[in-house]
Amino acid sequence: MIDFDEVRKLVDENISRVISLGATYVDARFFLEDRSETLVMYDGNLEVNDTTLESGIGIRVLWDGAWGFAATSDLSGMGKCFDRAAGNARTAAGLVQTPVSLGRAEPVKGGYSTPVEIDPFTVSLRDKLEFLSGLDNDLKDDFILRRVVVANLMKRRIHFWNSEGSDVEKNLVHVFGRMMVMAVDSDGEAQRRSMGLYSTGNGGAGWEMMTNPELFSGHASRIKSELAQLIKAPRMEYGRRSVILLPGQGHLQVHETIGHPLELDRILGYELSYAGGSFVELDSFGKLQYGSEKLSVSAYGGIINSPGTFGFDDDGTPERDYLLIDKGLLVNALTSRAMINEANKRAGREVFKRSGGAARASAFYRAPIDRMTNVNIVPGTDGTLEDIIASTEDGVILDNPVSWSIGSNREHFHFGCEIAWEVRNGERTRVLRNPTYQGHTLEFYRSLSAVGDSSTWRVEQVDNCGKGEPNQIMQIGHGVPVVRFDDVITGERE
Amino acid sequence: MLNTGIREILLKVRDEARGSGIDARFLLHHENSHLMRIGNNSVSLNTSEELYRLDVVVREGTRQGSQTYLGMIDDIQVVRDVLKSAVDKARLAPPRDYEPLTDRVEENVDEEDQYDEALENLDPSFKEGAYGDIFARLGGKYNYSGSWSSGSTELYVITTAGDKEAYHKGTDQLFSVVLKHPGTGWELSGRQTGWRVSDFDADKTVTELERLLKVFEGADGRMVEPGTYTVIFGAAAVAEIVEMAVWTGLLGRGWEEKRGWTAGKNPGDRILGENVSLVDDPVNPDTFMFGFDYCGRRRRIFPLVGDGELINLMYDSATAAKYGKKPTGHDINSLSLVMDTGFGGEDPLKAVGTMGRVLFIPDLHYVNIPSESAGIFTGSSRFNAVLVEDGEMVSPIFSTRVTDSFVHILGGIVELSSKSESVNMSNTYGRRSPVAMSVPSYAVCAEVKITDSADSF
Repeated sequence: MIDFDEVRKLVDENISRVISLGATYVDARFFLEDRSETLVMYDGNLEVNDTTLESGIGIRVLWDGAWGFAATSDLSGMGKCFDRAAGNARTAAGLVQTPVSLGRAEPVKGGYSTPVEIDPFTVSLRDKLEFLSGLDNDLKDDFILRRVVVANLMKRRIHFWNSEGSDVEKNLVHVFGRMMVMAVDSDGEAQRRSMGLYSTGNGGAGWEMMTNPELFSGHASRIKSELAQLIKAPRMEYGRRSVILLPGQGHLQVHETIGHPLELDRILGYELSYAGGSFVELDSFGKLQYGSEKLSVSAYGGIINSPGTFGFDDDGTPERDYLLIDKGLLVNALTSRAMINEANKRAGREVFKRSGGAARASAFYRAPIDRMTNVNIVPGTDGTLEDIIASTEDGVILDNPVSWSIGSNREHFHFGCEIAWEVRNGERTRVLRNPTYQGHTLEFYRSLSAVGDSSTWRVEQVDNCGKGEPNQIMQIGHGVPVVRFDDVITGERE
Repeated sequence: MLNTGIREILLKVRDEARGSGIDARFLLHHENSHLMRIGNNSVSLNTSEELYRLDVVVREGTRQGSQTYLGMIDDIQVVRDVLKSAVDKARLAPPRDYEPLTDRVEENVDEEDQYDEALENLDPSFKEGAYGDIFARLGGKYNYSGSWSSGSTELYVITTAGDKEAYHKGTDQLFSVVLKHPGTGWELSGRQTGWRVSDFDADKTVTELERLLKVFEGADGRMVEPGTYTVIFGAAAVAEIVEMAVWTGLLGRGWEEKRGWTAGKNPGDRILGENVSLVDDPVNPDTFMFGFDYCGRRRRIFPLVGDGELINLMYDSATAAKYGKKPTGHDINSLSLVMDTGFGGEDPLKAVGTMGRVLFIPDLHYVNIPSESAGIFTGSSRFNAVLVEDGEMVSPIFSTRVTDSFVHILGGIVELSSKSESVNMSNTYGRRSPVAMSVPSYAVCAEVKITDSADSF
């Protein structure tokens, strides 16, 4: 049994001790509980019925401008863990040309709890399985070869303390759901149609989202019907046309080609050995026309029920609501304390006024890095999906990713989607299979010609964003409306 | 050898479970990991983690439940609680329409063949010193990044179905350095892998990067027009393509479900070129060798493709049970994939000396699969990619996209290196699971589809 008061006392003592030895800054993230549950129904069989429980502490020490980090599950060895983090920082300080500086910050004291009506971990396994079995049953049909229903539930109780006197408590709950059906088309190729749990931005973020027919559970018959059309559909042919992205696809477009290139650590070159860099430069802010005037993009966006909403980041900075792109103009990035100080110093001007609260770590045994929070396209004034279709001469509507491959500086991309609907002269005509599209990021966003209104906007959840070394999987949200881009390369050249 | 106290706790709870008629498997994973990350010519992160994970899987008839615990395993009650949670989950699970296989450790295994105490306990200052040395030798005008992961992994499997124990202890490292030109933006990379400290050789990386610097400093970047090209894929690109081809075509699950590019093909059918042979070889020292899988099954040399013909598919335990096949020792993240070498010389440039204009793409970035059924993959060039004319490297190329199929690429290899190279394919997303492949150091492929190119690196 963990004695929380004892942990708190040991952390305080060790932070003071390491500071007194010469560290500039120390923080500790104690995961009292990091719990997850994964349930996967595969053709009606419960193939994954797993729970995970993790607990431990991660220590970050800044010493002579260099970071050291260490983590342990063994709370009896906490002092040793602080020493190891400090030792790692001192070793790192031997090779520092760009010293890390956090700047000055007032102590932050506060807490955040994800709003939930029904804590998913209070729902009995029997009830969860009954719900998933019902959904699996809804997906059955003679032509369907495979059915998959997934629930992925997370709960974290995290305490953050640092040498500036900050004290933050977070109680986070995330609920992810996905269903998928697969069948074989007339050429013998596997086709699929899927649906991920989304939110409207408001309301509870607990188990109630899973059972809400609008957000998830009511879509089984739709994806079945679309799959039935898909397996009889012709292939998409190569050519240039407009693409209308539904939120199921648009969110990943935003994630890969706006979110990642605007992470300040990527811009500054701290991801070059793995994930890659960014075509965005420090000089781009306030000058680069990222997209057409219809493009405005926010970080966080005041979304209540999303995995990208967590109250305080892992620097202890309160999460903020601000614009990244304003009417097409690049104005800000996804930032943390250390990165904005370095960026401003390098630029020789104040490019970033304050941290965007985007320092996030995926577990107690990982150090925080710059991550997306919620990165959203602000709804526009071009009406509903039907309004956008009506104003489209030659295009395709695309939904849900099958594959995504992006250039290392996020300057170009290639996406494969589950389904396309052809649009001719303002009308949706037929379904097309094996749709793909590709483009160059700036050219693509500058061709943005329609942005749907708030009725088309929804928050899509991403539970598998990978970044960093050691690698970290993060949970993120994207609020996106229906969007249209013109003159895009679609399909594959023969 | 596994910590005695932990082993005793696990054996005692295993015996208690057996006494209660519980069918259970216990998998302990212990990692001692260190990673140094470099950014902007500095150590940007220096991190250490020591973590114990315990997975307990319980079967009750056709039902199954599992519990994973990450924390200290120093209290028997903790392990009992983990077991109880898995039992409770199994009891509440709906029955499956097939009978899962009982896990059983087939043989007592105690392997430490790839364990180097010096690497496990490597002082981070060794890495800091090596990076500093490399930066100094290659020159101060560049921006350096990189990472160096090293550590040890222990695996221990026991089950209630027998008394045998399987234990593995090994070390691994993956070193990388990226050198970026501050003006033009091209990026060169050097990587090394191994399981001993002595596997790392700074001179090797410096020599290789110096050779490339002559080309990259001497010519402007070129944009590659879409079309078909003869391409030399370097070892890292070959490994990436082969690994993707294996995951999408040679797993029993995908084949049974007709999802992959081998759907409709049977053992004995030609699926790739005659010069392609693939095997999962857990005794090949160029890979990280694991002699048993997480279910306790022995891993043996397992041919997948021979001279282009499909030989075997890999069946994990659940897929084997569902489709009435035998499990093949593939309930594990760390495969030991080996692609046979060919008859080409060691120098890829000499191999294409008479082929005119050729692209040399050593590495593919962000490969994904637009169509699993058609075996189509797409990815883009990144590090060290150059245009070659008449066997000479003439200029770096901008970020260039390849979109083609496994069947076409691995069916159209016109020259295959006679030299093998070990490529580290590990990631650190979850638990430490070292993976390395042994592949020819290059493969020359004809009529590769280039579908896009940026105007920058």
